[in-house]
Amino acid sequence: MTELSININGEHIKADVEPRLSLADFIRDRQRLTGTHLGCEHGVCGACTVLMNGEPVRSCITFAAVADGSEITTIEGFDQDEPMAQLRQAFHENHALQCGYCTPGMLVAARDIVTRLPDADEDRVRLELAGNLCRCTGYVGIVKAILSVLEQRRI
Amino acid sequence: MKPAKFEHQRMASLDEAVKALGNAEGETRVLGGGQSLGPMMNLRLAQPDVVLDLSKVEGLDGIEETGNAIRVGARVSHARIEDGEVPGKTGDYMQFVATGISYRSVRNRGTIGGSVAHADPSADWPSALLALGGSVTAAGGNGIRTISLDGFTVGPFSTGLGWDEILTGFELPVLGTDANWGYYKVNRKPGEFADAIGAVTLGVEARAVCGATESAPFRVTEIEERLASGVQEVSIAEVRDILDRYDAGFDDYELQIHAVALSRAVQGAFA
Amino acid sequence: MPDGATVQGIGASVLRKEDKRFLDGHGRYVADIVRPRMLEAAIVRSPTAHAEKLSVTKPDLEQQRVFTAEDMLSDGVKPIHVISKYPGHKPSDYPHLAIGKLRFVGEAVAVCLADTRAAAEDLATQTKISFDPLPAIVDMVDAAESPPALVHEQWGDNVILDSLFEEKASNLDRATVSVTRTFRMNRQAVNPLEGAAVLAEWDAREERLVVHSSSQIPHILKNALCECLGLRQNQVHVIAPDVGGGFGYKCVLIPEEIFIPWVAMQVKQPVRWIQDRREHLIAAANAREHHYSVTLHADTDGNFIGVEADIIVDSGAYSVYPHSNILESTMAGRTLHGPYKFSAYKVRSRAVATNKPPIVPYRGVARPGICFAMELAIDAMARKLGCEPYDLRMQNLVPSDAMPYKTITGGEFDSGDYQEALRRAGTLIDLKAVRSRQRQDEADGRLIGVGFGCYIEMTALQTSAAARAGLAAIPGYEQAHIRLTPDGGLEIGVGVQNHGQGMETTLAQVACERFGMDIAMVAIRHGDTATSPYSTGTYASRSMIMAGGAIARTCDVLGVQIRRIGAHLLQCEFDDTSIRDACVIGPSSAVTFAEIARVWHRNPEELPADVDPAGVEVTSGFRPSPDNSPFSYATHACVVRIDPELGHVELLDYVISEDCGTIVNPMIVDGQIIGGALQGVGTALYEESCYDADGQPLSSTFADYMMPGSTHLPNLRVDHLVTPSPLTEYGVKGLGEGGAIPPPAAIANAINDALRGYGVEVVETPVTPRRILEAIAGSKT
Repeated sequence: MTELSININGEHIKADVEPRLSLADFIRDRQRLTGTHLGCEHGVCGACTVLMNGEPVRSCITFAAVADGSEITTIEGFDQDEPMAQLRQAFHENHALQCGYCTPGMLVAARDIVTRLPDADEDRVRLELAGNLCRCTGYVGIVKAILSVLEQRRI
Repeated sequence: MKPAKFEHQRMASLDEAVKALGNAEGETRVLGGGQSLGPMMNLRLAQPDVVLDLSKVEGLDGIEETGNAIRVGARVSHARIEDGEVPGKTGDYMQFVATGISYRSVRNRGTIGGSVAHADPSADWPSALLALGGSVTAAGGNGIRTISLDGFTVGPFSTGLGWDEILTGFELPVLGTDANWGYYKVNRKPGEFADAIGAVTLGVEARAVCGATESAPFRVTEIEERLASGVQEVSIAEVRDILDRYDAGFDDYELQIHAVALSRAVQGAFA
Repeated sequence: MPDGATVQGIGASVLRKEDKRFLDGHGRYVADIVRPRMLEAAIVRSPTAHAEKLSVTKPDLEQQRVFTAEDMLSDGVKPIHVISKYPGHKPSDYPHLAIGKLRFVGEAVAVCLADTRAAAEDLATQTKISFDPLPAIVDMVDAAESPPALVHEQWGDNVILDSLFEEKASNLDRATVSVTRTFRMNRQAVNPLEGAAVLAEWDAREERLVVHSSSQIPHILKNALCECLGLRQNQVHVIAPDVGGGFGYKCVLIPEEIFIPWVAMQVKQPVRWIQDRREHLIAAANAREHHYSVTLHADTDGNFIGVEADIIVDSGAYSVYPHSNILESTMAGRTLHGPYKFSAYKVRSRAVATNKPPIVPYRGVARPGICFAMELAIDAMARKLGCEPYDLRMQNLVPSDAMPYKTITGGEFDSGDYQEALRRAGTLIDLKAVRSRQRQDEADGRLIGVGFGCYIEMTALQTSAAARAGLAAIPGYEQAHIRLTPDGGLEIGVGVQNHGQGMETTLAQVACERFGMDIAMVAIRHGDTATSPYSTGTYASRSMIMAGGAIARTCDVLGVQIRRIGAHLLQCEFDDTSIRDACVIGPSSAVTFAEIARVWHRNPEELPADVDPAGVEVTSGFRPSPDNSPFSYATHACVVRIDPELGHVELLDYVISEDCGTIVNPMIVDGQIIGGALQGVGTALYEESCYDADGQPLSSTFADYMMPGSTHLPNLRVDHLVTPSPLTEYGVKGLGEGGAIPPPAAIANAINDALRGYGVEVVETPVTPRRILEAIAGSKT
């Protein structure tokens, strides 16, 4: 077992974990924050994307033990976050989700786009989204939603 | 899809890591950002007994220009390179390469040292850095040594690192402000591993690399000679003829896409 | 749009009621549920495609935590056994865990339990299996013509069903121009982002088995559990909670849905199995895989005379419950004609068994394959005749004045204007502009091509058609259960299952339309066998037609009850009342549903003694009359740009002109169509489940299996014709699947148009760079 001290959504947590436990499984099974989803467990689909020290990472291929000392924000931890509130509303209005499974990871990735790349155009948004798979929507609504939030934030 | 059991050792310093590697029993893997090793362990394609975690080791994430070389620490993330932290023309080239590696959420964790040490034939850095030239620095039981990037990647998942050595960084040439470079990656989706790579830099010497092969990337001397002589364009047919003479194991399709990649890399260098 | 439409009724782009929980991270999928003392399962799977004399050795110290087929057999568990009534169909069992033989890589052999999935996987690696290898049957044509072995020995060959669809074949003599082509639509995987998942436990208090499964068909799963485990219906409770996409994969039973519950009953603890992506890709959700030899016959004026074809469908090793292993081959054989007029038809269709996973119904079922084959043959014919493929289609599509139209194989197109869909698609894609652009070479040497794909889709398969086709699963009616709640709202139970289609919103819109009420007051309950009416579930683009129809009809029955109470409260005659804006309206005043509900539920003393005690809780149902299916249709058109040096294809433009009848929610309809189209792009260009000559899967991760991404489809334009179906409530037609049907046809036709200068054609999906370059290379040799 490895000792782990970590901050998740503002809460300090100390735990003993098996070294092989992924950050995603720690978040889901140990902390019971199940909004973070597993879609492939090999770092391709992006459903497990969370913020680690403010940057998006794949929690399925990051061991919990390696995340020691970090600050994690999961989809449940954005209630007071303005860009996320804008994105949630825009996703709702642009029909950017169907089954909802990719949505939490998609939103975390989208938040990174609208905060890191305020000038992104549609091509850039599509390029940046290439690391998050959605099987339902054809991405059209997602791209529209992100562009609309970028536009809002430029005003 | 969960990894086999392993022992996780959190390293506090490079010295501790080198010692731990030297003393380790069983298969031992050094973990940088874990973005290549993580998936392989989840799939149980890699089942190390011990993982040495470098994430808390300081001093491996620097970027500095020292006269005629740029030092890049092994734990520098792709994202930092994408964001332009490597200076000058060398930085421009590396920024271009980094931007095409996987996705931002992987680039935030994945490291240049980890990628080169992992030596996936389809990964970008082994080919891109071979085309840049310079050397790898490694720390081992016998101290620090410098290994030329030429020939560093030996084959798939195989490098010139000794079993007891840890890759600590790179010393890379400073491309002059007027130096040309070109990098062309053939894939069908942004961020995917490459089907073929062509990489060209014209610094002190002309270097041209055919990458994303079944094995190690290799320099194509016939192209380098042409570039050195001032040639600014090499047709696909010419590259095909040249690559065909190498024993790269290409079938006709692979030969074609590697020829296109290299031809377009040359084209990109003079665009 | 029907009269009386409200802002939240039929035709309104109501934002989805179900969005909030997903946006906040509060969706609840099976993997999000834990139970006290729950064990996790990992599965030992076959490493070989074909073998006999299977023997399993459990780890010494963990005998009680590993279960095999022997354990299940000794407990009397019955295998999955799906027989079609189709004459000549060869039956076979689908064992839950392999017995004696192994028939595909990934077939379940044993199940291992531990406190964590990782530990269960450790146990799986310690479970040893041995076997004697047999030659593998990998290719479908070999399976039909020259099999190296037999998948099921008792059959004597590997042909599951050999069916001939022949109508007026003598008319073929009238043909003067013919083109013959061989096409192949390769195997792919369904890949909802959530894979399969099962959590089962025996509830000792309720004395029943409770199974959570990521399923489109909870009631059918319940039937299967009863059949296989020998339980009474009142001993099984199936719940499909939030389901992360299905697309057809989750409308079949998978072995895990039987053996995980069985194992949970053995250990008397909850057991959970979460399919990982590798399991999904190699062991489960395979689909498509058709081979066609097609000859299209026409006269010199380009009028289609007939079609002859030999179709082979690779159904894999087993027959899936309940749709069987001949669903694709018979549908392909019967409806190869598509939306075109034919006077002769001769199609042989064979379903064959191979040492690969059983294929499952996947969005479009068979029609992406037949559309691909027919539409590519049409373009080949146009090239032979020297005419514009668009014109050839226009000339041969069934015209609107022929509706309803009896097809040559006995189907009936109910309504629509197929030619208008093509015309609009041609205008939207600006065919003339593309042709003029093509007259100049592109500056960068790229090649431009334009392509079309037309299809018809029978939606909401009906009883008599399913019975005629001998399908193993025959749907019938559909019911809805509606309760007027004490606050005047509606709780509506339906047996279909919502997994992304937005049915918690669109089905509510039907009730809003009927009663004029606020959609916030309408709740759709689904996915739970204990609280919903029986249903065959969600598949075949049937839910809006069937469950929507059932809600509309049940609202009418409930409306009568509500009006009766309303008439009493208004002191007027029943016949003088009507319903509007969630009120019963009388001659001089009105009473709200809320008031009526209050009186009924809480103050019955205010009602007369002879009030109908059946009250305000009603179950009723719907089936189309006559018992026919509405046909949706569309034309897709696209412009591609090909890099002839790399063989890469870029979609420059993509348009869809479609008709799904009356549109319930335009936003959601567009979402379904666009999402389907991108899956079709995946079939066309990217997705392939590859196998080597020994039957080893080569596409076992997303690194080896390319899913279409955000850069792969431009902002396509969707245009709607609205021809209400005469068969359904409000004139709706099904639309869930259609988007995925024609993209392979339209895109491959555009590619072949771009390659016309080389005189070569691509004939196989996905059209990869390698296949394009090999085609081009073929022109030079």
